[in-house]
Amino acid sequence: MSTRRAFLLGVLGTGAAATLSGCGFRSPDAEYGQPPGSVPPQYAGRVRVVFWHSYSGRNGNVLGEIVTEFNESQDDVYVEAQYQGSYDDTARKVAASLVAGQVPDIAIFSDVTWERFYLNEALEPFDPYFRPGTGFEAGAYEPKLFDEGVLQGRSWWLPFARSTPMLYFNRDAFAQAGLPDRAPETWSELREWAPALASVQSAGRSLRSLAFVKVDGDWQFQGNVWQFGGSYSDGLDITIDAEGAVAAGEWQRRLVHEDGYGYMASSAMTDFAAGLTAMAQDSTGGLRNAMEKASFSVGAGFVPAEVAAGVATGGGGIGMMRNATAERKQAAAVFLAHLSRPEIAARWTIETGYLPVITAAQQHPALVDLIAREPNYGVAIRQLPRARQQDAIRLYGRNANVAIYTGLQQIYADNADPRDVFGSVARRLESIADEVRRQYEEKVRP
Amino acid sequence: MTTSVPMRAVQYVLLVGVAAVFLGPLYWLVATSFKAPDEIYQFPPVWWPTEFTWENFGLAWEAAPFDRFFLNSTIATVAGTALKVTNAVLTAYAFVYLRFPFKNVLFLGILGAMMVPGHVTLLPNYLTVATLGWINTYAGLIIPGIGSAFATFLMRQHLLTLPREVTDAASVDGAGHWRTLWQVVLPMSRPMLATVLVITAVEEWNNFVWPLIVTNTAEMRTLPIGLLFLKDEEGLSNWGTIMAGTLIVLAPMLVIFFVAQRWIVGGITAGAVKG
Repeated sequence: MSTRRAFLLGVLGTGAAATLSGCGFRSPDAEYGQPPGSVPPQYAGRVRVVFWHSYSGRNGNVLGEIVTEFNESQDDVYVEAQYQGSYDDTARKVAASLVAGQVPDIAIFSDVTWERFYLNEALEPFDPYFRPGTGFEAGAYEPKLFDEGVLQGRSWWLPFARSTPMLYFNRDAFAQAGLPDRAPETWSELREWAPALASVQSAGRSLRSLAFVKVDGDWQFQGNVWQFGGSYSDGLDITIDAEGAVAAGEWQRRLVHEDGYGYMASSAMTDFAAGLTAMAQDSTGGLRNAMEKASFSVGAGFVPAEVAAGVATGGGGIGMMRNATAERKQAAAVFLAHLSRPEIAARWTIETGYLPVITAAQQHPALVDLIAREPNYGVAIRQLPRARQQDAIRLYGRNANVAIYTGLQQIYADNADPRDVFGSVARRLESIADEVRRQYEEKVRP
Repeated sequence: MTTSVPMRAVQYVLLVGVAAVFLGPLYWLVATSFKAPDEIYQFPPVWWPTEFTWENFGLAWEAAPFDRFFLNSTIATVAGTALKVTNAVLTAYAFVYLRFPFKNVLFLGILGAMMVPGHVTLLPNYLTVATLGWINTYAGLIIPGIGSAFATFLMRQHLLTLPREVTDAASVDGAGHWRTLWQVVLPMSRPMLATVLVITAVEEWNNFVWPLIVTNTAEMRTLPIGLLFLKDEEGLSNWGTIMAGTLIVLAPMLVIFFVAQRWIVGGITAGAVKG
């Protein structure tokens, strides 16, 4: 179902994106209407701001509360938060909305979706909306995360629900296996610990050490490639078939097929919470959820290093649509200023586990207290110096992520030789790179 | 004819196997929706919840405005099915009983439309609906789907099998087209009509892609999209709640199917022995 849906929406998105980029269908400066909705009577007469987002479940509820409080806190702006499905669904709907001429004013874009809207001149830079001295300014944001959204000296994508992978580990199982109460520091150490973990029986079978993700595992693997000294690409020059990336793939292949300590899981975190695997690399944004749902004590640590350390940033940020009217953009900025307040940013981190995107939020008493009580919440922040923006091909290449994780599936499931797999993935990526090279040279390269 | 005991045993094993393939996932859905979270994530799996809990249903219902989704799904399904089936019956009647130029070419056109995958028309439909200002409205939700080549085709093929003498007799007695349709053709087509109704209703109820792109606000969403609201974006989802939500979505269609099934089966066998 979900793949079929993804395909169908993909068709829509591709069509819409083609119309968006080509043939002058859309004037970059046209003023578009808003998607319809309903304004509760108590908010009538305010400027309505439509905010398309991708958060459901627990995180969606928290965002809903923050929006409601904002609406009650002032008299000029009414923000209507509309949930539009996953990050990819949301991006496709925004692409379609541009074709239809009814755009949201601000929308959540993921680490790999905002670039296309930037390249097609659909985003509005935030710089004119910042109010230096009020806290809503470039300097208030965590510099590393903020700079990822800066191109040609202007800010296009504000960090919001940003994350990195962490290594989650089952503390109870580690204790039973006689291992130290911490995450392994290197992949070699993880492999040394695996036999001890395998001696632990979990629900009638020996405990596996690590579950690899079946879909979208290329995000975690981006970091793994750096840890083994490689990269996906240098600019748009593909390097995934070079030594470091192959070594990372080979290490994982060996753990799965020769050692039997690793395997590919449909949902690594579900297996982790069920006690089937002792460790999993997953987003910081799932921390709260994992700690609530697992029946054992959950530990979190840095993703192991090997010849180098590094993890990929990911998650969602906010983009403003260039085709919204000036009045709506100004109103949206009032809401964004609200989100940039340290207490709001801290609360979002506390409730979800996403990184605190406002530097001052890291010192907010509520967050400091929580980290003192529950050190897991501090791991992602301490790991931040190791975090890096992903290699350009994954960010700018259309469906580059699919090409990479399909290759990984061959390694995990079919015991394919990483050198061969990445060789053919590299050829695919090169043609993907050629598609965007002109726009990339024009609008991204400084 | 008698069947040997080993043969019969093999038959039963096969039957149970096939039943397990069809009913297994459904059973898992129902069982999970009554489980507490720790039993869902357990391995080896817990086949039967040790303690029945209704909590999942409450959580699912409160997680999103499901009452509103229910209303929307009902409106879209009832109106959509009614329009679709009316359209199909009238079109099929015209193709079978009326004489007009290019009849065969037009019918080929309908057959051709059946071969076009639905997602090819997704973007053109979206643009049309956007131009009409129908995004996030019931009209936008329902109207683009009311022409169904498949339902028309099914009805036409059925009408062709009806004895021509009956409709000829009706016209000799002075019945016009409306009267022939209402009092002669439709009463003879009950089983096929029920089949088309059920297929259409299930299709409308379960429709996911179109409602997702054409509606924006929670007030206009339908049930299948409501299920998305239950899923957490990062990491773990609460499967008990999702399964409970799915059961809520599934139940009305199961009821409709069981009720209509009597018609379908009864219709097929009625009069069969009379030759």
